[in-house]
Amino acid sequence: MTEKKNFIEHAKDGKILSHKCINCGYLSLATVYFCKKCGKRGFDDFVLDGQGKVGTYTIMTVPPTGFEKYTPYAWVIINLDNSDLRISGFLPNIQKSGDLPIGAAVKVVGFDDRGIVLKKL
Amino acid sequence: MEKVCVLGAGSTKYGKLEDSITDITLQASVDAIESAGIESKDIKAGYISNVFGVADKQVHLGPVVMSNLGISDRPSLSIESACGSGSVSFREAYANVAAGFYDVALVAGVEKVTHTGTEWTTTYFSYCSDFFYEGQSGVSFPGLFASMARAYMNEFKATEEDFAQVAVKNHDNGLLNPKAHLRKKITVDDVMSSAVVASPLKLYDCCPFSDGASSVILCNEKFAKDHGANYIEVMGSGRGGSSAALQGREHLTTIPSTKIAAEAAFKMAGITPKDIDFAEVHDCFTIAEIVDIEDLGFFEKGKGVEAVREGQTKLNGQISINSSGGLKSKGHPIGATGVGQIVEVFDQLTGKAGERTVKNAKIGLTQNFGATGASCAVHIFQSV
Repeated sequence: MTEKKNFIEHAKDGKILSHKCINCGYLSLATVYFCKKCGKRGFDDFVLDGQGKVGTYTIMTVPPTGFEKYTPYAWVIINLDNSDLRISGFLPNIQKSGDLPIGAAVKVVGFDDRGIVLKKL
Repeated sequence: MEKVCVLGAGSTKYGKLEDSITDITLQASVDAIESAGIESKDIKAGYISNVFGVADKQVHLGPVVMSNLGISDRPSLSIESACGSGSVSFREAYANVAAGFYDVALVAGVEKVTHTGTEWTTTYFSYCSDFFYEGQSGVSFPGLFASMARAYMNEFKATEEDFAQVAVKNHDNGLLNPKAHLRKKITVDDVMSSAVVASPLKLYDCCPFSDGASSVILCNEKFAKDHGANYIEVMGSGRGGSSAALQGREHLTTIPSTKIAAEAAFKMAGITPKDIDFAEVHDCFTIAEIVDIEDLGFFEKGKGVEAVREGQTKLNGQISINSSGGLKSKGHPIGATGVGQIVEVFDQLTGKAGERTVKNAKIGLTQNFGATGASCAVHIFQSV
């Protein structure tokens, strides 16, 4: 299985698969092949709970093809709890900015043809 | 390294154009050749930037352009780097002339997409993002920059009205540019009442989808001196990269590739941001211009919004930003934009900018990036 497929399988279970560099301990998403910090290749899998706080977001009203039926919806960047990593994804059923303040708790609930799917807690 | 000069420049009008992608590239290139006072056979190589040639049934544009200029035997390179394609094309030509491979090179950028409609362009442009993490999950480019805008508002207490000021200024400048796409005076109220595209960005915070082509002729200093036409010198050239996905960046209110490219260009030029008289920056969305003028070092982080509020970036303000009207008003034919910025600098520094002339300008800068700034090139020019 490629790392991307493995990443997707974890996201389907609400987890974020990351890599901890064996050399320096730096944490990356599992889709990265070399450590950004030290340049080495060689990682241990490190599974994060796909839970975090809203870092920023937008509410999409002019969607790309395939997303018309969900409009309006949010696209969100979350700061994952217990790490410095961020993850972004699709968050349905958000109408207005008051529905999703920055700092609100959000979690990964799946992965499908809408990429990473998030849910507000 | 050879000193490199820009000897000529040409551009079509930006907007909805009827002619084919090939024809508009040729129109801009012929104008650039005539402006340089050379013949096409003087050109030793071509660098042609374009993103969505598929939309007008022509990719591999390089040889098609060269053939129609009567120089089919000359090498060309067809370049794609999303919205930053034009400046990358210029950089490749610059590097090859500086290295002495060619004494004269053509750079041409083009885009022809308006006939495809908003849905096609919104969808296809989203392929320029890190698609696995971004486009795939339903975000468009307005949405990505809207996410940066919200982060900026949260961190620096900026307002949507502040962003609107950027659009108002660039439309004021574009009114003075006969080749601009959107030549229409607008107010902050017009921006605020326009339809929301991706909150907090509204239609008038966004640049238009445009057709258009721009070309410049580069040459070494000896060729420029021998040909006697008005020319400008390239003082500095820098490129940089950022995490392709926004989630991979340490800060969401800065574009690392701009900082890296600017640092390299300023170092090569031996000057600082204070020495720049005017700049064409990548204002694909109003928030982008504010982030750009901070990342380029014209204003401290978080202070760009105050500069806009106080009118410091207006034409003949403290530093004129986007005298052409920028992407917002001049238009954004994505493969051409980076070249079009250099056409504006050439026109400003050779006395061809008419009503929008930046007074006493000697040094101009261009900054053009791809996607959300995953790639960026900065160039610095001076009059001779």
